[in-house]
Amino acid sequence: MRTTLALLLACVAFGARPAAAQADLNDLEMAHVAVTASNIDIAYAHLALAFSENPDVRNFAETMIRDHTAVNAQVVALAKKLDVQAQDNPLSQQLLADAKRIKDEMSRLRGAALDRYYARNELAYHEKVNGVVADAFIPNIENAEVKAAFEQALAIFRGHEQHARDLVAEFAEGGR
Amino acid sequence: MIATAKRASQACIQPRACVHLGAGIVAALVFAGAAACGPGRDDSRRMPQNHIVEMRDLAFNPAEVMVSPGDTVTWINRDIVPHTATSASGTWDSGEIASGAEYRLVIGDGDNGDYVCAFHPGMQGRIAAR
Repeated sequence: MRTTLALLLACVAFGARPAAAQADLNDLEMAHVAVTASNIDIAYAHLALAFSENPDVRNFAETMIRDHTAVNAQVVALAKKLDVQAQDNPLSQQLLADAKRIKDEMSRLRGAALDRYYARNELAYHEKVNGVVADAFIPNIENAEVKAAFEQALAIFRGHEQHARDLVAEFAEGGR
Repeated sequence: MIATAKRASQACIQPRACVHLGAGIVAALVFAGAAACGPGRDDSRRMPQNHIVEMRDLAFNPAEVMVSPGDTVTWINRDIVPHTATSASGTWDSGEIASGAEYRLVIGDGDNGDYVCAFHPGMQGRIAAR
């Protein structure tokens, strides 16, 4: 089902320009957004592991790599089973463009500044993505197996959101 | 039966000795019965149980299990991401449990207490003593 509303909500959440809202999102495009969002988080985690020495940050980053890799593997397996391919779309491209800017900023930071930036970005990123998945994608997914996969992934991502929230709070308490 | 009766009659030539012997046998039987039925009963005859804990939606289900030494706790990962079951005291650790995999722990002394998933700090469980 074409979901103009889904794309509108997603674009608002991610700050995309209004012109992108002219397109529609189907199940395969939503799957592409999900995989893209996971790959972006994996990239953020690798950056954190490259430059952070904080054990809690490193533990969080390793979990992001482990979990998002598993979620992507499930999406790929489902696509193979359904004999379909995830489809690129303007929202995926917007996510990648935003991620490039954030990775450039992270690369310039070190120590406590990097840890704080990474934790806050992870919280904001998961809040936005989870909101889009819960409010715009899941209600509009047609295929039952795809919907179940998104619901399962959302439960994982909400755990990540809370984990990131705890990390941000830890840095706030420690005055870092 | 006949041989036992003859030995009894031979052991009881003097009636007073028979009373003392009989009382002692009865007393021994009474004490044995008390040991079997009283408050200090040995529970080792209870069959060990297997307790199943599912890891689903980043939670341990059930969050708490009541166990006795010798029982087994089996964790089954129903999530698509890997987990661990790691004791807070550091006495045992499952290591990574892949999606669909299981981990079994036979409960020994000191294994009770809180535990977590090392990958997802929000996942917390407890093994309580029965």
